[in-house]
Amino acid sequence: MVEVRRNPVPSLLESMSRDHLDPGYAEAARRKAMPGGATGGGPGRGRAIAAVTAACAVVGLLFGISASTTQTNEPRTEKARSGLLEDIDRAEQRQSALATSAADLAEQLRATQSELGGAGPLQTVAALEIAGQITPVTGPGLRIVIDEAPAGTNASGGVIQDRDVQLLVNDLWSAGAEAIAIGGVRVQPRSAIRQAGGSILVDNRPVFWPITIDAIGDPAGLQVKSVGAPGFGRFSTFAQLYDISFDVSAQETLTLPGGSGTDLRYASAPAQPAPTPTASSGSPPTR
Amino acid sequence: MYALLALIAGVAIGLFLHPTVPDWLGPYLPIAVVAALDAVFGGLRAKLDDIFDAKVFVISFVANVIVAALIVFLGDQLGVGAQLSTAVVVVLGIRIFGNAAAIRRHIFKA
Repeated sequence: MVEVRRNPVPSLLESMSRDHLDPGYAEAARRKAMPGGATGGGPGRGRAIAAVTAACAVVGLLFGISASTTQTNEPRTEKARSGLLEDIDRAEQRQSALATSAADLAEQLRATQSELGGAGPLQTVAALEIAGQITPVTGPGLRIVIDEAPAGTNASGGVIQDRDVQLLVNDLWSAGAEAIAIGGVRVQPRSAIRQAGGSILVDNRPVFWPITIDAIGDPAGLQVKSVGAPGFGRFSTFAQLYDISFDVSAQETLTLPGGSGTDLRYASAPAQPAPTPTASSGSPPTR
Repeated sequence: MYALLALIAGVAIGLFLHPTVPDWLGPYLPIAVVAALDAVFGGLRAKLDDIFDAKVFVISFVANVIVAALIVFLGDQLGVGAQLSTAVVVVLGIRIFGNAAAIRRHIFKA
């Protein structure tokens, strides 16, 4: 099996494909075969068995340790992942719960205010709140559902951008919508529709595909006026070219959530000498 | 055979005692396992070839594990640890396959 070669070290690939067995075994066998080389029997043999047994025990221990660590590590990584997912879920639930309680408290506040004050300035406050899109509203309107093209349909990417959504919302406003919510987030006078990566942010809150845009207003009027508008034209073209989905449907009743109140950080009302009730009824600002 | 019994006992101890592996030993364990597999298959084949030698088996096992761990350690220091681990696994894997094939030829004569 072992032939004498001129070049004692065979090339790497050759040796890798041929010499699978440690050459030491052949060497030892040859030594044993030589006269006087063998040390069979006696204490030497017992020592050899003990050595092999010990080595085998170590090998088995290695296998066992490695198997058990793999088994214990696998659920750990899985646990970490699912733990993070749970954290996200919990945070989202907490966020929505807090948002609901904030809306409830605002509602209570308004109810108490109207109980106490009745008419006068508080009525103006209520009107302003409705105009500022803070209170929840309900009414007939138009529902638009947009979604990106299914993945892989076209390489050029049927990606809907924030600008497209902005145009669509502007069209709805100009067609006479009185209140608009995007993906359950109420659009307020100071709302911004922006984009971060692949997701659309409304008022810094992410909304997820498919995005539902609810607009309250006269459904027929909204539809007629908005069909010719540039944003709508844009979306119907996209729907044909890039396979995005764009569904418009009239709805009997839509319920839109209230927007989060505006906190003014820098602006403050100028100090007025005395409240003049007659002046407040003058001209409530029109949107 | 004592060796087989010792092997099984080792696996059982490892599985049931759940010894904690220190962190620094983590990257070397898989390599040591592959080296040990290579030694076991080599020893088995030598046994079947009737050229088994206890000294060669023990020394080749210990040396393989140490050298493999050393290579990986060196690779880690030089920033090529993952690639060197792959190299060790490939070389030892080819040897394991070759020895397994030889054992198969011995047992099934095919």
